[in-house]
Amino acid sequence: MRGAFVAILSIVQGATPAAAQGIITPPLSPRNASYTITARLDPSTHTIAASETLVWRNISTTTATELRFHLYWNAWRNNRSTYMRESRLGGTPPNEDADNTSDAERSRIDVTSIRLAAPFAADLTAAQHFIAPDDDNESDQTVMAVPLPRPIGAGQSATIEIAWTAHVPRAIARTGVVGHFYFIAQWFPKLGVLQDDGWNCHQFHSSTEFFADYGSYDVSLTVPRGWIVGATGVERERRDEGGNATVHRYYQDDVHDFAWTTSPDYVERVELFEHPTLPRVTMRLLLQPEHAVQADRHFAATRATLQYYGEWFGAYPYDHITIVDPAYHSRAGGMEYPTLFTAGTRWLAPSGVVTPEEVTVHEAGHQWWYGMVGSNEFEDAWLDEGFNQFSTARAVAAAYAPHYYSRRYFGGFVPYVFSDIVLSREVDDNDWSAYAAAARRDVQSTPSYRYFPTSAGGITYAKTALWLNTMERWLGWPLLQRIMSTYFARWKFAHPSPHDFFDTATAVAGRDLGWFFDQVYRSSNAFDYGIDDLSSVDDGGEQRTTVVVRRYGEAIFPIDVRVTFANGEQVTEHWEGRDRWKAYVYTRAAAAQSAEADPGHVLLLDVNRTNNSRSLAPRAPDAGAKWSTIWLVWLEDCVLSWASLA
Amino acid sequence: MGIVGVTFLDGVRRVNRAPAILIGVWLLTCAVTLPLALAMRAMIVEHLGSSLAADAAANGVNYEWMQEFADQATGIGVTFKPTIIGFAAVVDNMSAFMDNSSRPIVIVCAGGAYIALWIFLAGGIIDRYARDRALHAHGFFAACGVFFFRFLRLAVVQWLVYAFLFGAMHGWLFDRLYARMTRDVTSERTAFFARVALYLVFGVLVAGCNLVFDYTKVRAVVEDRRSMLGAVNAALQFIQRNYAAAVALYALDFAAFLAVIAAYAMVAPSAGGAGAMVWAAFTIGQLYVLARLWVKLVFWSSETALFQQRLAHAGYVARPEPTWPDSPAAESIS
Repeated sequence: MRGAFVAILSIVQGATPAAAQGIITPPLSPRNASYTITARLDPSTHTIAASETLVWRNISTTTATELRFHLYWNAWRNNRSTYMRESRLGGTPPNEDADNTSDAERSRIDVTSIRLAAPFAADLTAAQHFIAPDDDNESDQTVMAVPLPRPIGAGQSATIEIAWTAHVPRAIARTGVVGHFYFIAQWFPKLGVLQDDGWNCHQFHSSTEFFADYGSYDVSLTVPRGWIVGATGVERERRDEGGNATVHRYYQDDVHDFAWTTSPDYVERVELFEHPTLPRVTMRLLLQPEHAVQADRHFAATRATLQYYGEWFGAYPYDHITIVDPAYHSRAGGMEYPTLFTAGTRWLAPSGVVTPEEVTVHEAGHQWWYGMVGSNEFEDAWLDEGFNQFSTARAVAAAYAPHYYSRRYFGGFVPYVFSDIVLSREVDDNDWSAYAAAARRDVQSTPSYRYFPTSAGGITYAKTALWLNTMERWLGWPLLQRIMSTYFARWKFAHPSPHDFFDTATAVAGRDLGWFFDQVYRSSNAFDYGIDDLSSVDDGGEQRTTVVVRRYGEAIFPIDVRVTFANGEQVTEHWEGRDRWKAYVYTRAAAAQSAEADPGHVLLLDVNRTNNSRSLAPRAPDAGAKWSTIWLVWLEDCVLSWASLA
Repeated sequence: MGIVGVTFLDGVRRVNRAPAILIGVWLLTCAVTLPLALAMRAMIVEHLGSSLAADAAANGVNYEWMQEFADQATGIGVTFKPTIIGFAAVVDNMSAFMDNSSRPIVIVCAGGAYIALWIFLAGGIIDRYARDRALHAHGFFAACGVFFFRFLRLAVVQWLVYAFLFGAMHGWLFDRLYARMTRDVTSERTAFFARVALYLVFGVLVAGCNLVFDYTKVRAVVEDRRSMLGAVNAALQFIQRNYAAAVALYALDFAAFLAVIAAYAMVAPSAGGAGAMVWAAFTIGQLYVLARLWVKLVFWSSETALFQQRLAHAGYVARPEPTWPDSPAAESIS
């Protein structure tokens, strides 16, 4: 059965045997942190017993005197970790019953042995200790430091052998078990990134994600026989063991992480992505049985991503991608891993509402912004999340227009589609509302893990998407597309910093864009332009019109100002927007009708758009009457519901 | 047609023969809600000012502006969301009712005032339906006055019962039991059906209490009872002895409620229009409110009719006709 499946895959892929094995030649990345892992899952105790051999090459210019590893699962070992403290600070525990989680349901990861095998042999087990480089939280055990008996210089390699045991938590933050569904991510002792200024190995924070070097992963997973496995890479081998277990061996070159899932309940589908100019990709979908009818929606969204992202930024280089539809309650939805991502649909998912597609496009899109362009998600989360939010909104607008607003009622189960509210890419899919709420709360250049937990989303995702979309409307898509594709080409399979993007943008645009990045990246100033005054008075038989446009916010951006006269004439002025205000005076035969600041909605970061225009024939009373009568019926129905008890 | 159907139709007939009550409670509903709607209108007008955003809001749905308004709103303004549009308003309120969602304090106060007015009117309304003949305003309000303080005492009992149901019981069912039932459920469909089952349990409990309090009022009025605890006990006895009929009639009344909801789902207007369409939409909305009020009155009238059929109060007089003593002049005449 397995052989037939591989044969079918090979036929539909038309792939080379090497590609079908996860092997990529020539290397796309430095491959300086490669892992060979053997792990056994025991579902009866929710434990993993594993070992890994890490081959690491120091590609920095500095000498390593110690090694630093992420032990992410210790974030949920107790409630005193930095992750849990930050979750509470934001008022959003990662798990609604986190406080009630028993010890048996908490996660932990314990390194039982760590040994240096090359360039010299040494047992480092006794030397391991926890550090908290970000906040000195002595209770945090998510970073393990291991001093080296002898330093490892630039260009040198080391082989480290680690054995560990881990307890799979009850589902929390895209990891864990619920029922027979396992999603296993950030699960192994993972080396930090040694940079020229030292180790970059942050503690696990509640609102940021990860950072790691590229390498090859060769992972053998032992799970109960008959259970379906999905993982980063390609399954090279599957063999049954005694004791009702099966070993699944996965392999992938040029990735910086490895995640996997297993469950006996998955429904498996395979389809092919084909495109005239892009490489073929086999799409493997692992669905929950209750979502079987939504397979086409998942494939279509993944196909749209591979197409649009491929055309806009660069081709997807792997010949396979795995889409995981996580189980209900698993808290595993909407997350990205190399060549694998989790989608996020619901049992009742009406057409016209593209939430499942948006999640799929977003997470598939992370293969570009995160997977291939490996920016530091601890420090510059906006570089991948914000870029991807922008790209997702653009792809969804291209593939799924129109789509509608919806809300869920009755415990969040029953969707209601508002067919008269068409969602826009610019405002809704970029999540303007989240940005407006957080605009002044954090400076984007602050390391992301230091954002206030509740404003992190608005600054990381929405603000970036809005300023990129503003660039698109200001510079034009062809230029922004060149900027982003050049940035992608230069920095794929590397670790770019914000300045690498800014430098690329300035070089490709051929003009100084630094002032714009100063506004959006290095400041928390808000943009707010508006029409302060509009009047037309009779002046000797002609109409003297005065327009005052004002900069209410601190941030500066050049805008157009458009004045429309009663005879249909329009005048458009360009204002650099640096001063606090600017007055325009016109003498015309006709009186003014309206004035608009930024009539083309170029500046999508404007936090108050209602004040962007003025009319001399305002229709606010009409709108007020209409919407208050609509609201009145809602209110009457509300009080009637209560009165039914009287 | 069975006895329950006949009783239901009798109730419908009694409500229809007293249109002034229906009009009156509709005006009352408007009187309570209109001031808040006017306040909302003022907030909307102030926020829009002379912006061109008003044009889009007046002609259709300006969702961009709605978000901006909601983000900056306080008080009743926070309820100004797309969920107020058309049939979504009904779904939103039903969902909030079943999930015991909170509302802004101003809305809660308006609801409290509205319920207080219903408590005042209940005696007069049931009295009118029991007599099934015109009483005119003075007779109606006299009955309202007679029963107001009795029903106020009953309201204390009702409040205690409903506070228990929507506080402790709801929390236990949906926060603890539901969470426990679905903790290891990996299928959303299964979790949904579990929640529906709990909605049914909770709904039956609320309906059961509602049924008892309805017959409490009916017995209090028809039998001129002064003790509300005694009336509750009498209502329980009546329901016990006439269980099938009382429950079937309540179910029929509830079916009428569902029919009104279903009808509104089909005709509920969107928010896309302007000018005359706005007023057409408003009219449809008010017809829906009238239909809801009509159903509420049918509950009371049909329950009154059932009670009168079953307990020999067919010749109901809420209070005996006064028999005045003779005038002293009678002696001299005789």
